[in-house]
Amino acid sequence: MWKKEDVKSPGLPENAPGPVASSPAIGGSPVREISTGAPVSSKASACISQGIRIKGEVTGSEDLFVDGHVEGKVNLSNGSLTVGPNGEVKADIFAREVIVRGRVDGKIVGREKIQLWSTGNVAGDLQTERLMIEDGAVLRGRVEIETGKPLDKHAEARVAAAATSKSGPVPVSPGSAAN
Amino acid sequence: MSFLNKLGIGVAAGAGSNREVPHTMSSSGRPRANGAAPVAAVGATRPPELRESTRVSNGLKEFLWNLDGLGRGTLLDLGPAWQTTLSFFIERGFRVSSEDILRAWKEFLVEEEGKLREATGRAAQHTLDVTPAARAARFLEANLQYPNSSFDAILLWDLLDYLEPLVAKQMVANLTELLRPGGVVFAMFHSKKPEGFQRYRVVDSATLQVISSPVLCPAQRVYQNREIQDLFSRYRTVKSFVGRDQLRESLFIK
Repeated sequence: MWKKEDVKSPGLPENAPGPVASSPAIGGSPVREISTGAPVSSKASACISQGIRIKGEVTGSEDLFVDGHVEGKVNLSNGSLTVGPNGEVKADIFAREVIVRGRVDGKIVGREKIQLWSTGNVAGDLQTERLMIEDGAVLRGRVEIETGKPLDKHAEARVAAAATSKSGPVPVSPGSAAN
Repeated sequence: MSFLNKLGIGVAAGAGSNREVPHTMSSSGRPRANGAAPVAAVGATRPPELRESTRVSNGLKEFLWNLDGLGRGTLLDLGPAWQTTLSFFIERGFRVSSEDILRAWKEFLVEEEGKLREATGRAAQHTLDVTPAARAARFLEANLQYPNSSFDAILLWDLLDYLEPLVAKQMVANLTELLRPGGVVFAMFHSKKPEGFQRYRVVDSATLQVISSPVLCPAQRVYQNREIQDLFSRYRTVKSFVGRDQLRESLFIK
C-alpha cells in the first residue's frame, strides 16, 4: 500500500546536478542548466584524495577532483577542477570550470563558469563568464564577470511582480499612470 | 569568563549551536554528488526552514539613484555573498567586492579566544593585549584591506549594531578612506535592540529580502541619531528613512 517499490534508495545519484541558488547564475542561464552533468565527483580523470598533500604546480587538461591539500598553482587549461568538501587549495586556479565545495585561498579564473556550493569558502578574486553562488557559500574577494551580456530589464519587473502578487496587485508603472 | 562569553559568543556554543546556518533554497531533497559525503558530514547542519520576508527599501532606492549614471562603478558588499545581490549589481555594470564582516568578526573572536588560552599558559610577557582598542586594531589589520578610494559605494547593512563600538568606529573611519569622494554608504540601524538576527539581500531596486538567521553575533548597542551623526561626521550628506519595523535606513554621501 505504500508502494515501497517506488521509494528511491537514499544513496547518492550517479550524476548529481549542481547546487540550486535563489536566482539565475550571474551572467548566464539558470543554475540547473549550467550544472547539468557537472563533474562534481571523484570520478574525474584525476583525483587528489583526502590526506594527500601537494606543493607545487599542478597542470593538465583533464578534469581534476581535489579533496586533499594543494599549495602552489593549479592550471587546467581545458579541464574542470572540483574542490571537494575536504579539499583545501592555496593556489591561483586557472581552469575551464571550477566548482568549490571546500576551501580555496587564491584567485580563481574559471573561463566558462565558477560554482560556489554552500560549503564553499573562497578568499580571493573570481573571474569568469558565469558565476553561481549557493546560499551559505563564503566569498571574500572581487567578482569579475567577463561577458558583456546585456541586462535583462524585464527580469527585475517579473521578480517585483511575483513578490507583490502575494500581498496585493502589481503596482502600475509611473509611465502608465501618467497616461 | 572569557570575553567571548561576555559578548554572548561562547566558543563551545559558537562551534555548534550558534553557527550561522544560512537558508538554502535547495534544501528540499537536493541530490548529493556521487561519492561525496553529504553536507552534514563536513560540519554543516541542514538548516530548518528560515523565515523570509520582504520590505520596501527607500534607502536602497535612494542609494541606487545616487549611483545612477556612474557607468562601471565599484561596490563593496559587507554582507554575505548572496547570488541575488551580486547579480543585481553586476548586471548594472558594477564591479563587486564581497566581504562578510560579521562572519569575519565572529571567526576573529574565536581565534582570539584560542590565542588568549595559549597566552595564559605561557609567560606573562607574552600575554595578549585584549583591550578593545588593541582588538579593534588587530581585526582591522586582517580585514578591509583595499587601496584608498577604491569604491564608489558600500553596502554596510546593519552590521555596526553587532560590532564592538570601538571596532565600529574604527571601521567607519577605514571605510571612509576606501570610499571615493562623492561615494555612498548604505547602512541600517535598529531603533531598539533586535531580538533576532537578520540578513538582507536585494530583490529589486526598491525591495530587500529579510532573512531571519540563527544568531551569528549578538547585538552590541542601539545607536541614537546623534551617535550615528558622530560616527559619520566626515560625510557631507545624511539621509534617513525609518520603516514600520523600526529599522532605520541611512545613506551617507562622502
